[in-house]
Amino acid sequence: MSKKLFNLVSVLVLTALILAACGPAATPAPTEPAQPTGTILERAMAGEFKGAVVTATGPFVDQDAQKFEAMIKEFEDQTGIDVQYQGSKEFEASIKAAVTAGNAPDIVDFPQPGLLSTFVAQGKVTDLGQFFDRATLEQTYNPSWLDMAMLQGPNGKIMAGVWERVNGKSLVWYPKKAWDEAGYKIPATWDEMKALMDQMVADGSTPWCVGIESGAATGWVATDWMEEIMLRTTSLENYDKWVAGTLPFSSPEVKNAAEVMSDIWQDKYVYGGQAGIVKTSFSDAPLPLFDADGPKCWMHKQGNFVTSFFPEGSQAGVDYDFFYFPPLDAAYGKPVLVAGDIWAAFTDEPAAIAVLEWFTHGSHLKSWMQAGGAIAPHKDADLSWYGNDIERGVAKIIQEATSVRFDGSDLMPGQVGAGSFWKEMSSYVAGAEDLDTALKNIDASWPK
Amino acid sequence: MYADKPLNKFLSSLAVNGVLALICLLWTIPTIGLLVSSFRDRLDINSTGWWTIFPHQDWVKVAELRPEEGVDRNTPMTLGGVTHTFEEFRDGVQVGNQRYKWIGNRRIGYVQVQEYRWTANTDFTLENYRQVLAGGNYTATLKDGTTVTELGDDMSGSFLNSLAVAIPSTVIPIALAAFAAYGFAWMRFPGRKMLFILVVALLVVPLQVALVPILRDFVTLGINGTFLAVWLAHTGFGLPLATYLLYNYISELPRDIFESAFIDGASHFTIFAQLVLPLAVPALASFAIFQFLWVWNDYLVGLIFIGATPGSQLVTMRLAEIVGSRGQDWHLLTAGAFITMLLPLTVFFSLQRFFVRGLLAGSVKG
Repeated sequence: MSKKLFNLVSVLVLTALILAACGPAATPAPTEPAQPTGTILERAMAGEFKGAVVTATGPFVDQDAQKFEAMIKEFEDQTGIDVQYQGSKEFEASIKAAVTAGNAPDIVDFPQPGLLSTFVAQGKVTDLGQFFDRATLEQTYNPSWLDMAMLQGPNGKIMAGVWERVNGKSLVWYPKKAWDEAGYKIPATWDEMKALMDQMVADGSTPWCVGIESGAATGWVATDWMEEIMLRTTSLENYDKWVAGTLPFSSPEVKNAAEVMSDIWQDKYVYGGQAGIVKTSFSDAPLPLFDADGPKCWMHKQGNFVTSFFPEGSQAGVDYDFFYFPPLDAAYGKPVLVAGDIWAAFTDEPAAIAVLEWFTHGSHLKSWMQAGGAIAPHKDADLSWYGNDIERGVAKIIQEATSVRFDGSDLMPGQVGAGSFWKEMSSYVAGAEDLDTALKNIDASWPK
Repeated sequence: MYADKPLNKFLSSLAVNGVLALICLLWTIPTIGLLVSSFRDRLDINSTGWWTIFPHQDWVKVAELRPEEGVDRNTPMTLGGVTHTFEEFRDGVQVGNQRYKWIGNRRIGYVQVQEYRWTANTDFTLENYRQVLAGGNYTATLKDGTTVTELGDDMSGSFLNSLAVAIPSTVIPIALAAFAAYGFAWMRFPGRKMLFILVVALLVVPLQVALVPILRDFVTLGINGTFLAVWLAHTGFGLPLATYLLYNYISELPRDIFESAFIDGASHFTIFAQLVLPLAVPALASFAIFQFLWVWNDYLVGLIFIGATPGSQLVTMRLAEIVGSRGQDWHLLTAGAFITMLLPLTVFFSLQRFFVRGLLAGSVKG
């Protein structure tokens, strides 16, 4: 009898234990913290959050992830906080599932503010405004970056993230050695560029290499071109209205930009002809610049990341170089199109906020800039920190720009910016539909 | 008449085999292309097709002729004894069995003398395999301005992770499904038919719709990001098919065996362990192949339930990462695909003799 009772008791105890383990963790008794002094980062540096673990995710993998690890190690050594980063090639799908299931990592790197704004609107993202002081941030960021991080939450605008790295997009790459040998001059204006293009055609070669194929994202290169030309042919107000959805695609301004683009994307100006544009992968598009039999095309417009697609062993400043995609109308100055990575927090744990605060200082990126592959948006990042001239040059172009605007398609709602804008531009370039239809279809897809 | 018969037979078998061989060839051409490409350099893959490794006739360069300094390239030029304009050279000028063709731009180009002859592209390299197995190279600039080349991640860790996911995810559903199949086939209990129909109906539930709810449950239970989570998910998604397949096989076993076992006083468990399991080996093995290949090739389930945990990348995730953040290293996929293929191929061929028998499980009612 007593044995049975013992069994019963032990079963009950075990059940209780299991239930307790499954239930929510008991909240620790609120201990009165010592009155914190200084910013969260200073407290972290003083070792206050030693032993804390911060989980992080983002779209960058492989080499970029290794450079990130090398960079974040400095922070870990100083604070004792363990930052665990795990990138994913299917970042957009996996982060959506994780956030919906309430399992988001502490901090997340978003390559586009568009996706982040969806989560902000759902009220899932921590408002960093409660931790950071705007006046302090303005010491390290240009105000336009801070404005771009303000996103609409359910209870008004919040500071949704901090910018860490940027890409310059308004760049034209050319094969320097052959270019100099042929005696071509870098065009400073749109007209000079058009003259140069005709000269190249007369010399029996094709000026441009363009490729917009990119799997499910086919067409994004075309949207970059459109944005560049919009910045060069109309006012910044119009560009912002266009991105916000108040200036329709069928307006004369946007239509004109598409026409200026088609004016370049003709059979005689593009290697492989207009029909080849949609079929050429954006990653293979620059390769004809480096053909063993001399360049098959001479110019390729793409962001600074494109150097990783250049053939192995080609040297910056010798085999290739870049120039600023020339301005079209002097009235609109020298605009630069950029994209960048913004980090957001899905927690208000001080250790995670400390990492983000560390990102707001240009100095954190020093080792990555030195290693190559990162450009800082920070004002306090020194040009001499860059490990190569290309990235230093790109950073200089961004600094000297009369205006900086973020990649518009990344800011538009997902259905448009990562959907109809790509698709309709591809159909238009492929000749499957005319320009008016394409623009009308994009307008129709804009969420009401 | 009589003598014709073997000939007829021979001809018809020739036709059948010929057609089969042709279909096999067509079917494997993409794989062959992938295999050949995995041994070629990125720029080679881009500029010529993999079929150029076979001997074929093409224009081959034999000499170069460059116009002398100061020659006006806008007027007819004399090169190698022939005089033509740039445009004519660019289109190619036929001289005897040779062709003079202008390569490149008017300003910096030259004339290539080409001959039409047999040639084959034989520039092979093991570099793709080296980078996949040992990790890709990347260069970084150090603080003192020197550049170093470092090795990226290799595949060994993800191989072990995939095994740690695939083996339990194959064994658990088979064990459960074999019990269930026996129960449905040979045990009498109320609601048996309804329950079985329910299990079969679960076959049509796409796993994608269940991902987020399951993830939510795992987060509540606190097991998300562990191997256990992936095992459970694969088990759940694999069970309906496993139960159905094994049921068909086990229910076809001769009734007499079971009756004599019962008369001898065997319990259900004894019958299951001593009789059913050994008799069902072909069906078990064929489902094991199915499930193992499915789990090994799975990307989505792994990505959602374990992908966010550092150091627990599966082979499929690693394969996706090999191409780099922006897909710049796509050429490594060819070699990566063949390396990840090795293990499933081994599993398939070692269990293959069960496979055909198992596939027929329950297909012929007798």
